[in-house]
Amino acid sequence: MITKEMKISEVLSAYPQTLNIFVSVSPHFKKLNNKILRKALASRVTVEQAASIANVDLNTLLFELNKSIQNSFESIKSSAKDLQSNATIIQKPKFFDEINPDKILKLDVRPIIDSGKDPFMDIMTKINELKDDEILLILNSFEPIPLYSVLGKKGFEHWTEKERNLFKVYFYRGQGKNQNEIPKEQRPSLQETDFKKMIELDVRDLVPPEPMMKILETLSKIDENTVLLVHHHREPMMLYPKLEERGYEAISNKIEENYYKVIITKKRN
Amino acid sequence: MNQTGNIASAYSPPFKIVAKYFIAGIIAFILLNLLLLFNYEDIGGHHFQPKILSITHIATLGWITMIIFGAMFQLVPVILEVKLFSSKLAEIQFWIFAAGIIGLVYKFWHFNSALSFTAPAILINLAMYIFIFNIIATMKSVRTWNLTGTYLAAALFYLFVTAVAGLLLAANLDHPYIRINHLQYLNLHAHVAFIGWVSMVVMGVTYKLIPMFTLSHNFKLTLAKIAFVLINIGLLGISTIMHYSETTIFYYIFVPLIAVGIILFLFQVLEIFKKRIRKKFDVGIKFSSFAYIILGITTLLGTVIAFIDYQSIINLTLIYGYIIIFGYLSMLIVGQMYKIVPFLVWYHKYSSKVGFENVPMLKDMFNEKIALIEFYFMMTGLILATISFSFQINQLLLVSFFLMLISSVIFATNMIKIFWS
Repeated sequence: MITKEMKISEVLSAYPQTLNIFVSVSPHFKKLNNKILRKALASRVTVEQAASIANVDLNTLLFELNKSIQNSFESIKSSAKDLQSNATIIQKPKFFDEINPDKILKLDVRPIIDSGKDPFMDIMTKINELKDDEILLILNSFEPIPLYSVLGKKGFEHWTEKERNLFKVYFYRGQGKNQNEIPKEQRPSLQETDFKKMIELDVRDLVPPEPMMKILETLSKIDENTVLLVHHHREPMMLYPKLEERGYEAISNKIEENYYKVIITKKRN
Repeated sequence: MNQTGNIASAYSPPFKIVAKYFIAGIIAFILLNLLLLFNYEDIGGHHFQPKILSITHIATLGWITMIIFGAMFQLVPVILEVKLFSSKLAEIQFWIFAAGIIGLVYKFWHFNSALSFTAPAILINLAMYIFIFNIIATMKSVRTWNLTGTYLAAALFYLFVTAVAGLLLAANLDHPYIRINHLQYLNLHAHVAFIGWVSMVVMGVTYKLIPMFTLSHNFKLTLAKIAFVLINIGLLGISTIMHYSETTIFYYIFVPLIAVGIILFLFQVLEIFKKRIRKKFDVGIKFSSFAYIILGITTLLGTVIAFIDYQSIINLTLIYGYIIIFGYLSMLIVGQMYKIVPFLVWYHKYSSKVGFENVPMLKDMFNEKIALIEFYFMMTGLILATISFSFQINQLLLVSFFLMLISSVIFATNMIKIFWS
């Protein structure tokens, strides 16, 4: 159950499939696709705050989110059944016997998880790169049940093998369903927009308008691959229109009283 | 957390309007000092005299309230993060207000002229109702309310009371109908104006601006909240009892409440100053701090006046009024203007050029050295005027008013320099 008090990061790590919901509810949440932004923001913002940021109705958002995990509850149930049936029948899809081992791409997500990161993006990147006749094999220490419904929506079927503590999950394109069925606008949003560089600027001991001057002067160093992180003592309301004028956008994140992290990026079209 | 899209167009300060109010205010400030200087022999004695009333209204309406109006059009959107409801109304209000002030000041000066008191008073009232409506309509769209907003809302209420009381007094001068003492109503009009309207704005804005200018963080606004309650109970109390003649006993209750409230406000200011990161006092902060000290002194003086038969010390209310207007309010306005106006002009003219070409720093936009001279002139002038009033030394008064005039000209020169920079 997702509640309004939960942090976005909690929701996303517990139910990675909700990322789709966020992104589909409002373009504001496309930022969540970006690792740096997700790290900086998602851990601070509650579902309730997020709803007001994106100008969407809180109840609607909660309903959509819970509906999406409801599906995964159901898929847990059904996959539990599957597991049982798998365990009893131990039957794998027929074509696996004929498949060329080269066509199986392996992704071991255990080191990613061990390092404290969410492997969801890596999985999605791989999935997006997957050719029609290829199969993605995910190696994990637990069964990645939420993935079933996320990838299921993208037209993938799965087959899970268990070897002691290792789960081998094969994802392959289901018959009759292909990627083209997925609404087009969802696809680019799932693509990782990765900023390679981050410039930090601390303007907390400057009086107005020096923070604004410093920030505006730094903008020239900011390109599509660079993010500017400003440590500010308040939310720079007067700065926003100036950024807008120059084709940049900002998100301010209140860390505590008198400490805001302002993330400035160049607008993408 | 916020997204730029929602607020990019949320507010942009109506520079032309704000500048208009500020310029009118500065002109009134010079005019005020000129009139004082040329009529120094008539300034003294009881405060209810045509020229003193006339000059008082140039000061309170032309200088102080004009600046407050301009500042509120600028600051309310910034402090409450909303867009001003209507710049058009602010423009219309300006002309009605200016016409009203000129009419009223003229009428007070020529007490026996054909013009009525009521007509300009109606214009001024109209301008104030437009202002109140405009700000309330602006406040309606506020999403995150704060203590400053509460103070400003209360100030609007007292502005309304002041305006209505002023209108009734004006009408009474045309056709006497007030059954109890006219001067008692004048007392109410003045105190609601100075404490309710002007000081409420000053206090509310102080909680935002002083931390902004001195980079002060992590202070609690507890004292400010208690001060708000005390001052309001006190003000509503004295406003009620002033409608009756035998009221001494109630003064013992309500006046100390207000005094304690103001003292708490000053302790709040002290706390904000103690938590500041910027240790250096620039000229704007110097003016402001001195003004807060004077506020403390006037508060004590006002409390004393309430408990003594001040009619026997005929000059006391004049001294009281003078240091409120010149020591507390003018010093504060000048100080805050040295902070606000450069920023306002800078934002309007240069903020879009930062990073593309060289833009001036705030302190390069005016001459801080002359501003400092202005500060010492005003301080000296204030002290000299107080001495002259107390001991009725007219020659000293001439020197004092001369220093004040020079300082107002310095102030105007610096402001022109900023606007034209």
